Amino acid sequence: MNKKEARALKKEEKILKKYRKISNAGRFTQWRNQRPFLGGILTLLAGFMILYIPLQLYSIAFVPGSFAFIGFLFGGLIVIMGVLNFIYPAFSTVFGVITIFLSVLSVMGALGGFLIGTILGIIGGSLSIGWEHKELTMMDSKRDDEVEVVQT
Amino acid sequence: MDNESTEKVGTVWKKKFFVALLAGFLALGGLISVFGFTGTAFALPLGGIGDFYVKFDKLEGKGFQLMPKIGETGNSDAEPMIRNKIEEVKIDNLHIYKDIKLPTDQWIRINIKALGPTKISGLIQDARLIDANLSFNELAIEEQNTSDFSKNWSQNAQTITITNAKLVTDYLFQSVVSLGNAKIYVEKIDSPDRTNIN
Repeated sequence: MNKKEARALKKEEKILKKYRKISNAGRFTQWRNQRPFLGGILTLLAGFMILYIPLQLYSIAFVPGSFAFIGFLFGGLIVIMGVLNFIYPAFSTVFGVITIFLSVLSVMGALGGFLIGTILGIIGGSLSIGWEHKELTMMDSKRDDEVEVVQT
Repeated sequence: MDNESTEKVGTVWKKKFFVALLAGFLALGGLISVFGFTGTAFALPLGGIGDFYVKFDKLEGKGFQLMPKIGETGNSDAEPMIRNKIEEVKIDNLHIYKDIKLPTDQWIRINIKALGPTKISGLIQDARLIDANLSFNELAIEEQNTSDFSKNWSQNAQTITITNAKLVTDYLFQSVVSLGNAKIYVEKIDSPDRTNIN
């Protein structure tokens, strides 16, 4: 068995382990399994961080309206991307790319939520991009170990 | 007969994740290196916040134009002002500050200081008061018989040098600005700066 095959087998085992864990878990874990949960949460956090700065600037009123408006726009769009990640998990790669793009640009418009928002956005976006659904084809008469892993 | 069923497991593909992460941080690094290190900002307006103060040791400008203007300040809709337009500007020791009263009755001062030279292209500035030493090269003052007050008189010069200046400013626009060694900080103050021009 070469290295590549060994790695693929290891990956398969990992997925099976995860499946066994999920199949016995509660409804929330099952729901979480079907979408890029962590990516979505981090994206939402990044959006709120980026929104926080223009809200503060608005009250101090040192920065003119157009500047704060860009912050509201970027922050708001990132929050929307986070929510859409939960609703349409199949498009998580697209949402992830848009999240990273907006997070980086928000440095100019809203100081990127003191840069914390930007970093959270990049990590959240990357998790959304990296997330994928693995389909397991199960034969009911077989044991759990004999399931076939099909990548979708 | 065997029954086939499919189950789905969501996982994060590490390779994809790290590639996206790297791309994101590279983009961020690129953006910061372009705007951060050079301190350059494009089309930066500062206005609609009332009076703020601009102080500097020396300004050297090319293509100077001065005209009257009626503009809005923080306290009034129409105040007489002077509009300065300078094409290319180099400023030493620029200090911009704004005094703000907090809801707790405490005054704070937001300072923007450039310790290095500041270079600005396409400067437009509306000032209520200019307190400085001025020297011009090829100065021309023109008057026109027109009902439009903004064209009634104008003052143009090829070059302008201003030293030890303090300007009460209400609007500032810069097409391209580069602040050398900039420092932005907030400090508590006892009372605001008031320049009485009456």
